Amino acid sequence: MANEPKNIFMRGDQLLQSSSRRSFLQVMGLGGVIVLMPTVFTACDDDDGITEPTDQSYTLDLSTDVGILNYAYALEQLEAAYYTIALTSAGFAALSADEKEVLSDLQKHEVIHREFLKQVLGTAAIPAINFNATTVGTLTANRSVLLSTSQLLEDTGVSAYNGAGKYLTSAANLLIAGKIVSVEARHAAAIRDIRDGTNGRLFAGDDVVNADGLDVKAEPDTVLAAVVSLNVVTSPLSIGMSANQSRRTPDQTAPAPT
Amino acid sequence: MTTPNILDTIDPEIIDTVAARGAEISAGASTSSALAAALALGSIPVALGALSRDVYAQGTLPTAIKNVLDFALALEIFENEFYKGVLGTSASAGLNTAFAPVRAMAAGVPGAVATLQQIQKHEQAHVATLLATGATNVFNLTASSFDFTGNRSAMGGGPFSEATTNLAFLLQVAQGVEDTGVRAYKGQAANLMPSPTILEAALRIHSVEARHASRVRRMRRAAAGAPDVVRWSGTVRGGERAAAGGTSLGTVNPTAVGQAFDKIYGAGASTPSESNVMQAGVNVTSLAAAAFGTEAAQEAFDEPLDRAAVVAIVQPFFIPTIS
Repeated sequence: MANEPKNIFMRGDQLLQSSSRRSFLQVMGLGGVIVLMPTVFTACDDDDGITEPTDQSYTLDLSTDVGILNYAYALEQLEAAYYTIALTSAGFAALSADEKEVLSDLQKHEVIHREFLKQVLGTAAIPAINFNATTVGTLTANRSVLLSTSQLLEDTGVSAYNGAGKYLTSAANLLIAGKIVSVEARHAAAIRDIRDGTNGRLFAGDDVVNADGLDVKAEPDTVLAAVVSLNVVTSPLSIGMSANQSRRTPDQTAPAPT
Repeated sequence: MTTPNILDTIDPEIIDTVAARGAEISAGASTSSALAAALALGSIPVALGALSRDVYAQGTLPTAIKNVLDFALALEIFENEFYKGVLGTSASAGLNTAFAPVRAMAAGVPGAVATLQQIQKHEQAHVATLLATGATNVFNLTASSFDFTGNRSAMGGGPFSEATTNLAFLLQVAQGVEDTGVRAYKGQAANLMPSPTILEAALRIHSVEARHASRVRRMRRAAAGAPDVVRWSGTVRGGERAAAGGTSLGTVNPTAVGQAFDKIYGAGASTPSESNVMQAGVNVTSLAAAAFGTEAAQEAFDEPLDRAAVVAIVQPFFIPTIS
């Protein structure tokens, strides 16, 4: 990872590339517990201009429903923060009225998801995560990067919920996750459709829906590694207790938008 | 073991799969003797090949899971045959002929046929995946098992026949079909919890249906015939027929069509309307830092639908009686 410092800021187009993720996870696998902290990346690269993280670190216990919901809460915080900044960005200003309606809807929905999860988690909720304003600014600077980053976030959200549902032990919690994931999928399709022009297939393209008709899914450690590599989160996030290993399945992650 | 280093050459994610499926077997799924032998030997590649065909082989699925898979298969066959008729690739020549007028209209809209093809491809893949997972075509459904005019409703009269001649109406129906699929899978997810592998597959089909519904909404909005309740973001605003964004309930039997959309976006006996804003006991319209009003609260969460309500929606289009 130390040989790719130039990529740090533009990971919006490279997030979730499996080769780097695989090698990263192999390096970071520590007795079954994956630790993912931005400090690892900054330690690899001293001239990238990233502010050294000083935030409190948050540890997710994915062996419980509360931990899985906090994982969802972390992702919704990321999406909500991104779209909230996006609404005042240069990229947003360059959108058509129809496209602005999409981004505005997405911002509301993601903020609602964030605040809802915060409410239901109550005192068990992890604290608010801090974000790297410089990176988010870069990822909203023009129409192209705004839309490609939005696509990546939504596809990642779909893959995260699809991969985490099997770890929930309460039917009520699974239903909540199900109510949210289909909305994320609608978002992903809408953003993809904007980027597709009139081709008519990217909304559920062959890059995300496989030959078995199955959408993307990713395990929590894969998703968090991807989020870390996006360099938008300055709060160190780590997995303390892993999800039930016997229920793991192979990842089919969202590809980098092209 | 004669190959002590074999684990070093295998993708750890594949080993995870074996572990997950092994957990299902230990939880009660039956295994063939060949698979049991392979697992006992610790031969991962041999076990993988056997597992792919063996876990929860047909006839051994827990009843609750089997019932969900069979039901899902019926819905997927319905969707697949609908789109095949629209595209003119059905085994039923009558269907191909019936949809010819609207097919020609779709061909005049850039991207429309490609979208219908993409959706149909996925529905066909879902049929194959469900069959491979252990579902059975319990209603013996074929291309000839459906009446897409909706003539089998109590009112009769083929209220949906306009879908063969009116592209806007067809897309409104397609949206209803896809949203029904989303609601149906969501309503059945809890029944699949004993099998992580099958639950995950169902969730992954569920989100594909949601992508379909989103794109269809955008096609309707782009055609300039649909009001802004049909969101460019592809999300569902409101409940009952209002959520369909119906600019037209057709000319054949608007009463029947309206009632059909009321069911698609309304409540079931144990599931809420799409207009619901109460989630896990929380009124989503009153979240302090997310007070965006009722419409955004409705859009932000999709609702499940119980099986009986889904059956009531689709039965008018099925010639066999389903349950």
